[in-house]
Amino acid sequence: MEALVKVFPANDFSLLAVILCLPLIGAFINGVFGKRLGREGVTLMALAAVGGSFLAAVVSFLVLRQAQAGSEQAARLTYVAWDWLSVSGRHDLGSIPIKVAFSLDALNATMCLVVTGVGFLIHLYSTKYMEKDPGYHRFFAYLNLFIFSMLVLILGDSLPILFVGWEGVGLCSYLLIGFWFTDEKNAQAGKKAFIVNRIGDFGLLVAMALFVYHVGALDWIGIEGGRSRLLEPVKLWPIGNVVPLSSALPESAAAWLNTPRYVTAASLVGLALFLGCAGKSAQIPLYVWLPDAMAGPTPVSALIHAATMVTAGVYLVCRLSSVFVLAPAVMFTIALVGALTALLAASIAFAQNDIKKVLAYSTVSQLGYMFLGVGVGAFSAGFFHVVTHAFFKACLFLGAGSVIYAMHKRIHDTDTSQDMRKMGGMKKYMPVTFATFVGAWVAIIGFPGTSGFFSKDEILLKALTSQIQSPLPGGKITQMTRAGEQTVLELWQWPSWGNQVLFAMGVVGAVMTAFYMSRLVFGIFWGDFKGWTIKRKWKAPAHHDHDDHDHPHHHHDPDEPLEGPAPVESPWQMWLPLAVLAALSLGGGFLNAHLLHLHPMDDWLGPVFATAAQNVTAAEGGLSLVLAFGIGAFALGLGAAYWVYRLQGGEPARAFVERMPGLHRWAQDKFYVDEAYDEAVVESAAALADTAAAADKYVVDGIVAKLTSGVVQLAGAGLRFVQTGKVHTYAAVMVVGTAAVGWFLIAPHAQARTVHQSAGQYGVVAAPGFGYQYRWDTDGDGQWDSEEFSSQMQQDVTLGFGENKTLRLQVKNAFGRTAERSITVSRPKLDPTRGPATVIQIEQQPDGTVRGVLPGQQPTGGVQ
Amino acid sequence: MTFDVVYGLSPLLVVALGALLLMLAEAFGKPNPQGLAPTGEVSDAGAGRAGELGMGAAVVLFVGAALSLGVWLAGPDNLVGLELTRPYLIWDRFTVFVCFTLCLGGGLSCLLAGGYLTEHEIDRAEFFPLVLFSTVGAMALAAAGELLTLFVALETMSLGVYALVGLRRTPRSSEAALKYFLLGSFAAALMLFGAALLYGATGRTDLAGIGQAIAAIGQGEGPGAAQVLIALVLVVVGLAFKVSAVPFHMWTPDAYEGAPTPATSYMAVAVKTAAFAVMVRVLLIAFGDERLTSWASGWPPVLATLAVASMTVANLVAGRQSSVKRMLAYSSIAHAGYALVAVVATIRSPAAEGSILFYLLTYTVSTAGAFGALILCGSRGKEAVSYEDLAGIAKRHPAAAMAFSLFLLSLAGVPPTAGFFGKLYVFQAAIDAELYVLTVVGLLNSLVGAYYYLRVIVFMYMREPAPGATLAVPMRSGYVASALVIAAVLVIALGVLPNVTLEWAAIATVGRS
Repeated sequence: MEALVKVFPANDFSLLAVILCLPLIGAFINGVFGKRLGREGVTLMALAAVGGSFLAAVVSFLVLRQAQAGSEQAARLTYVAWDWLSVSGRHDLGSIPIKVAFSLDALNATMCLVVTGVGFLIHLYSTKYMEKDPGYHRFFAYLNLFIFSMLVLILGDSLPILFVGWEGVGLCSYLLIGFWFTDEKNAQAGKKAFIVNRIGDFGLLVAMALFVYHVGALDWIGIEGGRSRLLEPVKLWPIGNVVPLSSALPESAAAWLNTPRYVTAASLVGLALFLGCAGKSAQIPLYVWLPDAMAGPTPVSALIHAATMVTAGVYLVCRLSSVFVLAPAVMFTIALVGALTALLAASIAFAQNDIKKVLAYSTVSQLGYMFLGVGVGAFSAGFFHVVTHAFFKACLFLGAGSVIYAMHKRIHDTDTSQDMRKMGGMKKYMPVTFATFVGAWVAIIGFPGTSGFFSKDEILLKALTSQIQSPLPGGKITQMTRAGEQTVLELWQWPSWGNQVLFAMGVVGAVMTAFYMSRLVFGIFWGDFKGWTIKRKWKAPAHHDHDDHDHPHHHHDPDEPLEGPAPVESPWQMWLPLAVLAALSLGGGFLNAHLLHLHPMDDWLGPVFATAAQNVTAAEGGLSLVLAFGIGAFALGLGAAYWVYRLQGGEPARAFVERMPGLHRWAQDKFYVDEAYDEAVVESAAALADTAAAADKYVVDGIVAKLTSGVVQLAGAGLRFVQTGKVHTYAAVMVVGTAAVGWFLIAPHAQARTVHQSAGQYGVVAAPGFGYQYRWDTDGDGQWDSEEFSSQMQQDVTLGFGENKTLRLQVKNAFGRTAERSITVSRPKLDPTRGPATVIQIEQQPDGTVRGVLPGQQPTGGVQ
Repeated sequence: MTFDVVYGLSPLLVVALGALLLMLAEAFGKPNPQGLAPTGEVSDAGAGRAGELGMGAAVVLFVGAALSLGVWLAGPDNLVGLELTRPYLIWDRFTVFVCFTLCLGGGLSCLLAGGYLTEHEIDRAEFFPLVLFSTVGAMALAAAGELLTLFVALETMSLGVYALVGLRRTPRSSEAALKYFLLGSFAAALMLFGAALLYGATGRTDLAGIGQAIAAIGQGEGPGAAQVLIALVLVVVGLAFKVSAVPFHMWTPDAYEGAPTPATSYMAVAVKTAAFAVMVRVLLIAFGDERLTSWASGWPPVLATLAVASMTVANLVAGRQSSVKRMLAYSSIAHAGYALVAVVATIRSPAAEGSILFYLLTYTVSTAGAFGALILCGSRGKEAVSYEDLAGIAKRHPAAAMAFSLFLLSLAGVPPTAGFFGKLYVFQAAIDAELYVLTVVGLLNSLVGAYYYLRVIVFMYMREPAPGATLAVPMRSGYVASALVIAAVLVIALGVLPNVTLEWAAIATVGRS
């Protein structure tokens, strides 16, 4: 251990480069030489790259733990690859260096282990799942590239580097969703994911610009250190000083309209960042891309669209937790959006029959839980759910893949092979898949003792008890003006009813989760197999030996009854990852089992969230209530599903559908959100395009094009004339150009600017010119002060409030030519409501707390 | 002392020596019977050896670049002996940086020519001595601190280039060469006249002395002041011609299109770089007086107008071209406009000089690369000239298309390529100098420019060739490929790691008082 620490010092921790570079090298070699390497070579390269990366991550984790031991401060290991560039910030904040730097602390070390560890298992799984795909090497090149981008995202030490990774994972996701790009549907899904994510990325870019302007830093340490500057009020309205045309309105309306509205910069930054997070992590209103993204190969769904990439948004909120807590309104929005997403996605999952679709909506719903957790300030609880969700959701997806793999023996159509109505009784045929799937299932529905139980209950507890405090004393920012003290901005206060509402939504979501997940499991594993008629000693027709899973290829006549062999268990490369993930799903909860007073994870992450925790208050107690509700929700959901689908054979569900066909169809068609977006966004974009096309046709083609073509034709005639070798035209143009330059430099230019020297003192300064001489008329009598030209370039003017004065200036240049200009200097009237005194001082105390200090108030009034 | 001089001037000396040696080798070497083209012309001895001579010339120029780097690291200020060459040659960091850029651009063009001349059977290996002599002139021009040296260096550079343009014995090539020669002589005459007036007004020929004498001329009427103003007009026009700023650009599309493509590449990168270097030095040292850099009545508003005109006219016309080569010619005019923005910014921003040098370096690698990719895309009789010729080439030859796209993206200024940072620092300098209007015009023009650069990419990747059209077939040439690899590495490296180069460019100033 000591030797390791010596080789990799904390401020030049080059092991991070190893973690990052291995997958990159893997991607490069598989991408460029993959065809020549052969399948074994590609497999070895891909697995070695990710496996090596995982080992390096484990070593880094151990070194970090060593550094963290016995220290209150959050330990950090950093590695600066190179200095990239620097951007100039606001003048008082200086220039901002952007380094290609990476750092490791408790938060991203944990994330790094999950990404490389789960990533390795999924790579292993894919070696079998994708075995017969012609694009085998391409697939692994993309997958390795994804791991690299994801690691850049989580290890990056500043927002720009994170953004590089953020775009990288987006690109890989696009490439992998559209992996079978020959299929129109997949290509469409890839495009949809790409475009929806661009909306989120816009938010991230805006946030970066705001950080540059307000904080003057983009790296984590700099942002945390300068976060107090984010409490500056920013005027949102009116743009300019008065609303145009407001004078036409009645006085009271105009006054209301012209009242300046402020928000804190922290709120703007928080909202912009959350827009980015909502895009990447599929929250309302940007969740629509994720279910479609399941068009990609199943391991991709497991790795990118369940375990890692989609949690990047939660990671970002945790990473910048110290910024988010400065904006309680934004935090509440995050929690509310998370809870709503959890409910909405769960209700859509009720009505889906495609097993990957069910899991996709379940993912959206679970991501909602994570945002609910971080939104109420329970960062480590939210992040803990990221980890446990990575285990059980990856396991569920891979298990689903295993089932689909078995179904592909006879059914090659994507939609049918993933339809749970065609499955059933798999318990008998695929015992390992069954056992592991059940392991992950009990975790997600929150069976007591499993990982999902602990992580979900922790979120529910915090939803009930935890609040974000206002970062400023008295909750308002005031400003001194000549008219007295005025309130600029009242900070938003966490509502008293907020926690109860969030908690209730969380509990309802938990019931729904237990119900639809149980429906899925009962549908796949219990009952009778409905895919085809099972025949002993069945032989495959010769042309069916090419099996390509999801790839829609062969289409059977639906009327012809299918026959085939019994489904069989998948090979070890596929069930081994399942087994590991299932074990983690069951046992992972003990990393943070608050019920049992076991919380190594909280202790580990504590220092990272220490700054943010100062603004969070959590009430004591509530544990037994939450426990009762949590277990109750699980029992209710599971019991209901068992009654409906096992005892009654699905009869109540069918009856319900018959009674309320509209509601069911509504849920099945995902509440028509896609269609609404189509109408609202795509259609309006199309309408805009039509308008633009019409404008193009009539305005551009009709008028502009005719005009320009006329000009161009004229010019063209000239050019053709020239092109025949008449070089003197070129020379003539040069002569004209020379004459123009000469005319400008030889003509005199009388120009002057006014400078404000001090109260009421102005200077009028004539522009210098070579050989220029000046004379002035300062008293406005129409006579030059002196007939003689002199070299006096400046005249001083003294003015009272609201006065103005006109001067005349004449210059004579070296050629004896003259030019004249008159200059008016004016001083504005005194405005009593405007004042110089500012705002509040915001300072950071030595202990890291932020205090807002009102003028004339002692700093002791500050609140954390 | 002597060593200092020799070491300091070694980039210049090596290239000059190399030029002489190559000329001898070209004249007295054995012709290569396999490479001889049945043109019926009287071939000289270097015929058929374009490849080898090109390699030799490239090596000489890259050695020149390496020596420039060495001199930079030793620090020209530490080489006391270099004082001897003042004021004729001012061998400061500014000069050394420019020399590096010139050698790099020249070397890349020679590598391109090594492949191009062989492929197209142009048996005129005098190309290489001409490039080397021109480069000697260009380096001397960048260093020139005195009017006579300046003029001689300018002509040394130009004469070589006139010959390069007319190298191909086609009517088009000859016409282009003649036009360039006549107009170039006209511009040179204007410049010479300006120099004479300056001497008359100040009694000095060294730039620093002229600057002092101008500062001593007082306010008021007088023949001295009038002469200086007229000289300024003539010198500005002469320099604007060399950087091909609108409206002194008329020769550029014709000459660039008529010349063999490697020669075009050389003109676009080396001639323009040297011209900008001398422009900065002359304007800041000789015409750096506060009254001549006034925004109301000095050269800055003139150059700003030229910059706006160059960017706007070139970008609009470039979009209407059907020949890619001609489009690139207009693109080089537009880039001169961007660089002129930085020249204007020198009056108020200390960072502007560095941004010009950095810009010229990024422009050199991107432009040489773009012309190189164009060369690569066409083999004998199947040259890629128009957009149509490039249609669908990405499917047939992905590597060539990818290389071309990289350089075009860099020219368009897309991050993270070299071109992006070149433009970024130019505009940052302009904002520093509070030239907001110029910056906005520049940015809008970058957008317009993106249109025609991306159009090439669209043709390469998304269009199918028209049925029955002759397909351009990329040539196979190690020389061209290696030039492209060098340029591509630099384009990416300057995009990913701009910092070191930028820091160096920032300390390479002309040392105005």
